[in-house]
Amino acid sequence: MPDLYASVSSLDRLNLLNGSFRDSSFGFFVTDESGLLQYLNDEAARIFGFDSINEALEYSIHDFEMNVNCGLSEVFDTILKGKSYQKNEHRCTNRLGHYAVLNISLSPFRGEAGGVSGIVGTILDVTESYRKKVMLEEANHVLSVISQVSEALTSAAELNDVLRIILTGVTANQGLGFNRAFLLLINEKKNILEGKIAIGPGSPDEAHEIWSNLAGRHRTLLELLDDYRESKRNSGSSVSSGIEEWKIPLDKANFFVDALESGSGIIVDHSDELSLESVNILNYLQTESLAVVPIISKDRKLGIIVADNKITGKQITETRVELLQIFANNSATAIEHSRLYNKVLERARELEKINRQLADSQEQVIRAEKMSVIGELTSSIAHELRNPLMVIGGFANLMISSGDAGDNAEYLNIILSETQRSESVLHQVLDFSRASRTSNREIEFNTLAKDAYDYFRSKTKFKQNGFSLSLSEKSTKVWGNPDQLLHVLLQFMHLTAEGMTDECKAKIATFQKDRTVRLTIEFTGSRQARDNAAKMYDRIFGSPNGTQRLSLIVAGETIKYHGGNYGVENSAGGGPTLYIELPALGVSKR
Amino acid sequence: MIKVLVIDDEVYVRRLYEDLLTGKGFEVTSTASPKEALDIIRKQKPDIIVLDIELDSDNGLKFIEKYKAECPDVPIILNSAYSIYMSDFKSWMAEAYIVKSSDIQPLVDKITELTGSKREYEQSRK
Repeated sequence: MPDLYASVSSLDRLNLLNGSFRDSSFGFFVTDESGLLQYLNDEAARIFGFDSINEALEYSIHDFEMNVNCGLSEVFDTILKGKSYQKNEHRCTNRLGHYAVLNISLSPFRGEAGGVSGIVGTILDVTESYRKKVMLEEANHVLSVISQVSEALTSAAELNDVLRIILTGVTANQGLGFNRAFLLLINEKKNILEGKIAIGPGSPDEAHEIWSNLAGRHRTLLELLDDYRESKRNSGSSVSSGIEEWKIPLDKANFFVDALESGSGIIVDHSDELSLESVNILNYLQTESLAVVPIISKDRKLGIIVADNKITGKQITETRVELLQIFANNSATAIEHSRLYNKVLERARELEKINRQLADSQEQVIRAEKMSVIGELTSSIAHELRNPLMVIGGFANLMISSGDAGDNAEYLNIILSETQRSESVLHQVLDFSRASRTSNREIEFNTLAKDAYDYFRSKTKFKQNGFSLSLSEKSTKVWGNPDQLLHVLLQFMHLTAEGMTDECKAKIATFQKDRTVRLTIEFTGSRQARDNAAKMYDRIFGSPNGTQRLSLIVAGETIKYHGGNYGVENSAGGGPTLYIELPALGVSKR
Repeated sequence: MIKVLVIDDEVYVRRLYEDLLTGKGFEVTSTASPKEALDIIRKQKPDIIVLDIELDSDNGLKFIEKYKAECPDVPIILNSAYSIYMSDFKSWMAEAYIVKSSDIQPLVDKITELTGSKREYEQSRK
C-alpha cells in the first residue's frame, strides 16, 4: 500500500479520517493513484453497494465504475493532474443494481510533499430529494397543462369542441405528450361506451409529418389549444375514422370496465392476462400497451380517456397514468358543463318552439274571434236582408202570377230575377256564418266527407250518378269546425257539379299521408270530358262569376283558417283534380 | 177549407204568405209568437203549420216537440232563411224543410202535397 502521509502513521490517518467523516451524512472516500480505495466511510460504502468498509478496501473504484458510471474512470487521470471534478444529480445504479441519484465531487489528494497521491471524493445521495423535485416539476407541468386547457375550455361550449381540446392536451408534446388518445363516453340508456373522438397519427409516416409541422411552428400549448380546430387537421385520419362506430358493452369484462369500476387509471399491457374482449380492444387499437383512465364527475361515471405511445414506443409509467388521471378529473367538470350547456340550449330551443306555437295559437284565437265576430255580423246583415228580399221577390212573384202586372210585367220579372240572384249569395253567407257558431273539435274527416256526399246527393238531383266516393282506410282525424268544413266540402261539390257533363265521372276520395288529410275530386272519363272539366276549373278559379267568387272566398278562407290548402292539379290519369288539404290531427303543430 | 198556421216574426212575410195562400184557396192564420201559436193550435186545429226557426222571441225548433204533442197528425213545414238547420236532428221531426226564397212555389207545392189527402177528402164530400 503506498504511503499517503509519510509523517503520519497509517493508524493516525485512519483515526483522523474516521474522526472527521465516519458519521457524516455524505459519503467520503480516498483512493491511491491507481484508484484503490484507501479509505471510505459507512455512507460511501452503502452508496457503492458494499456490506462493510473492509470489504470495499479491497476494491479499486475502476472495478465498479462500470456500474456506477459516473464518469470517474474518464476523469481519474485529469484529477491526478490536479483538476477537480463535480457532477450533480447523476443518475446511476451501484454495484448491487440499486438506483440512486448522486451529487459527486472529486479532487486530487495531495501527499505531504505536495504531490498528488490519489483522489478524494464526496458523494451525496440525493435520490429522494431528486424524486421529489421531479414529482414537483411534473405536478407543476400538469398544473400548467390543466391551467392552459381550462383556459382554452372557457371559449368552448359544444361537447365536441370540449372533447377535442381535452385530447389535444393529452397528446400535445407541450401537454401530456402521449402519441395517441381516444375518448369514449358512457351511453347510460344503452349501457355502452361510445367512441367520440380520437387524436393522433395513424402511422409513423403520418406522425413524422404532423409532428414536424408542429415542431416547425413553435407554438405554445395555449396557442395550440386555442386553435383546437387545428388539432383536427393534425389528427391522423386513420386513427379518428370509425371512432364514432366504436361501441364497447359495459356488461362484458374488459379493462375499460375495470378502470371505470376501480375509479382510477390503469396500465394495460399485451403481456397481461386479459379477457377476450380486452385482447380484441388491444388488437383493434394495434397497440401493445396503453393507459386507461376513467372520467368521473361527482361519483358519476362519464367515460374514459385511452392513451398510448404506439408510435414512439415510449414506456407508459405509473406517474404518467397518475397525471393523466388528474387531467381526466379536471376534464370531467368541463364535460359536465358542456352537457349542461347543451341541455340549457336544448331547453331554450324548446321554449322558443313553444313560444312560437303559443304565438301561432294566439294568432289563431284572434283569427277565430275575428271570424266569429264577422260571422255574427254577416249573419245579422244577411238575415235582415234575406227576409226583405224574399218579401220583395215574393210579392213581385205574386203580382206576376195574379196576371195583374200588365205593362209592368217585365219590370216585375227583373225584380224577381235580381232578388233571386241576391238570395243565392245571401244563402251562402248565412250558411257559413251559422256554421261559425260551432266550436272547434276533433273531426273524423271521412265521416264529414261521407255526410257532405250524402247530403250533396240528396239535394243535387242532376248528374249525381256521375259521382262516386272512396274513403281512406286510415284514420283521417283533423281539428276544426265541422259545420264550416262541411260547408266547404258542399261548396266544392256544387262547383264541380256545375261543370259536369254527361260523359264526366267525378271520383271523390279521402287520403291520409304523412301530416296531411286530403280530399280530392278527380275527373275521369273520356279525354274530351277531362278537357272540358279542366276548362271548367280554369274558368271557376280564373274568372268566377259573382256567386262562385263568393263561394271560393268563403271556402278558401275557411281552409286557410284550418291551416290547410286547396287547388287543382293533374292526376296520374290525366284528369284535373280538385284537392283540399288539412293538417292531420296529432302530427300537426296543433 | 185547409187551415194553415204561419208562425213567423216578420210581418211582411206573414202578409205575403197570407195573401199567397189565401189566393191558393187556403185559410191562413198567422202569428209572430210560438207560444201564442199553441193557443191557436188548440182553438183552430190547423191542418198544417209553417214554422220559421229563428224567431225574435225564441227558436222554432224548441217548439216542434210541443206542437207535435198537441196535434201529432198535423204536418209541420220548417221555413227558414238558413239551410244549415237541416242537419240539426230536431228539424227531422218536421215533415218538410223549405229554405225561404222569393220563389214561393216550392212552399206552396209542399203545403199542397202534405195536405193532399184532406183536400181530396173534402173535394169528394162536395
